Amino acid sequence: MKIIGHRNNLYKKGAKQSVSLPVNSRNYKMTKKLLQGFKVTDRLLGLIVPLLVLIIWQVTVSRHVFSELILVPPLTIPDTFMYLFRSGDLISHIFVSLNRVFLGFLVGASAGFVLGFGMGFSPVMSRTIKPLVKALQQVPEFAWMPLIILLFGIDELPKIIFIAIGAFYPMLFNTYQGVSSVPTSYHELAKVFDYNSHRYFLKVLIPSALPSIITGIRHSLGMAWIFVVGAELFGTDNGIGYIMIQGRQLFQIDVVMAALIVIGILGFTLNYVLQIIEQFLLRGRVSFDGGPA
Amino acid sequence: MNISKKSKPWIAGTILPLILLVVWQSIAYSGYIPVLILPSPEAVVKTFITQFTEKDLLFHIFASFRRVLSGFLIGTAGGFSFGLLIGLSRSAEKIFSPFFNIIRQVSIIGWIPLIVMWFGMTELSRIIIISVAAFYPIALNTFAGVRNVPKEYIELSSVYGYKGLSRIQKIVLPAALPSITTGVTLALGMSWAILMAAEIFIQTKFGIGTRIEAGRGSFNMALVLVGIFIVGSLGFMMTTVVEKLAKSTNKGIKK
Repeated sequence: MKIIGHRNNLYKKGAKQSVSLPVNSRNYKMTKKLLQGFKVTDRLLGLIVPLLVLIIWQVTVSRHVFSELILVPPLTIPDTFMYLFRSGDLISHIFVSLNRVFLGFLVGASAGFVLGFGMGFSPVMSRTIKPLVKALQQVPEFAWMPLIILLFGIDELPKIIFIAIGAFYPMLFNTYQGVSSVPTSYHELAKVFDYNSHRYFLKVLIPSALPSIITGIRHSLGMAWIFVVGAELFGTDNGIGYIMIQGRQLFQIDVVMAALIVIGILGFTLNYVLQIIEQFLLRGRVSFDGGPA
Repeated sequence: MNISKKSKPWIAGTILPLILLVVWQSIAYSGYIPVLILPSPEAVVKTFITQFTEKDLLFHIFASFRRVLSGFLIGTAGGFSFGLLIGLSRSAEKIFSPFFNIIRQVSIIGWIPLIVMWFGMTELSRIIIISVAAFYPIALNTFAGVRNVPKEYIELSSVYGYKGLSRIQKIVLPAALPSITTGVTLALGMSWAILMAAEIFIQTKFGIGTRIEAGRGSFNMALVLVGIFIVGSLGFMMTTVVEKLAKSTNKGIKK
């Protein structure tokens, strides 16, 4: 914490030099805008589409365009939600899923951090490992799932591994980018001040790489959240994914929709909290965002 | 071993894969680990060849390509129009972007059960989920590109008398092109990644994901590995081609 604090001004430039994709800074700004709110009239404008959707939904239901199995009245969704919530199932399933997310994140992000740090620090390591990692990254994460199931069955472990794979790449590449792109001017400055390696590490390398690392954490956790749903759809007897599977099998579309809403809200909250933490840790620096979401 | 800066990058890059290959081969030969879990490298190569010669793997690849292209094209067309709309008009942005942002919070995989309930275990469901995956990056990047067209360009276009469609065609789109092509590249990657989920969760007879799942079902680890290899290399080839194309389209456009 202390390190971040009093290096603020010095590292402003470093943060600026980091790469940012147009989509993410925009997306970040859009999310921020969504949270802080437009002006009141603008907010009302934003309600038009959701309201229209709800009205059309209600009209199609009351005119019996589709069967009840395919479309339930919009108002049953909150009921279902409350029912799931009151029965206590929802909370415990959410905790199961969150637990998986954090375990998978912990495994994947630590591995990504260590490798990314090593690759950023040592050119030899980067040359030997990077091509292999890049090649492995070409494989869509879902393609690993059958392999993981063959090796580890369908218990808890394969799910954690699957989530960890998703969390691994963003952490790896962001850490690598942060560590490898410490501006030469800092390096030279550290030399002028005759920093030993320990001091260089703590006072230059870590603070300079921190913005990238934190972005990596955020993206990595986001990926973990995406993949927990995937992992649970492969078969589980608890978690948010289980609610969806069960809802689908019993043809309870309201349950599936309620679960979708829960997934959306939790994903949004997770990202929001992490953005706030990120802003707090990087306060005083130029805001930036890197790596695909 | 000296990996100096002068040595060609691929030399350093092949060391680790070669070591892994040797370790794999020796473990497979030692017989400590059952073939079910770790087939030998030759077995994998053999499977690779027989899959092409006897099991019509090319046909499965073709099916996957058709699927991913349909989804990608639909998603791209939709995402591009949507991004252009909310990029060009601020009121459209205010009306649509809050809803868009709400919907976007749900991870794509989460939609699969709902889409299957609505459209069944059909090709349509698979294409829909792939097009949703392609939609977001294109929409966001088109929006960002259009919205970030420098003000001077717009002013200049007024001077030259460009209005309406011709302004979009001559000024806005060229200026937004780098961002749009970024979106296209990202979207293709997403489509390819979600294709696997679509083929595995929404079962079908044809497709690479189907073959990988079949390998799992019949405890054929070699087939699973062949499938993973093919998915990875095809994805790599596709993104490389699209990135090259994007680079050549963006040539000469300076921001």
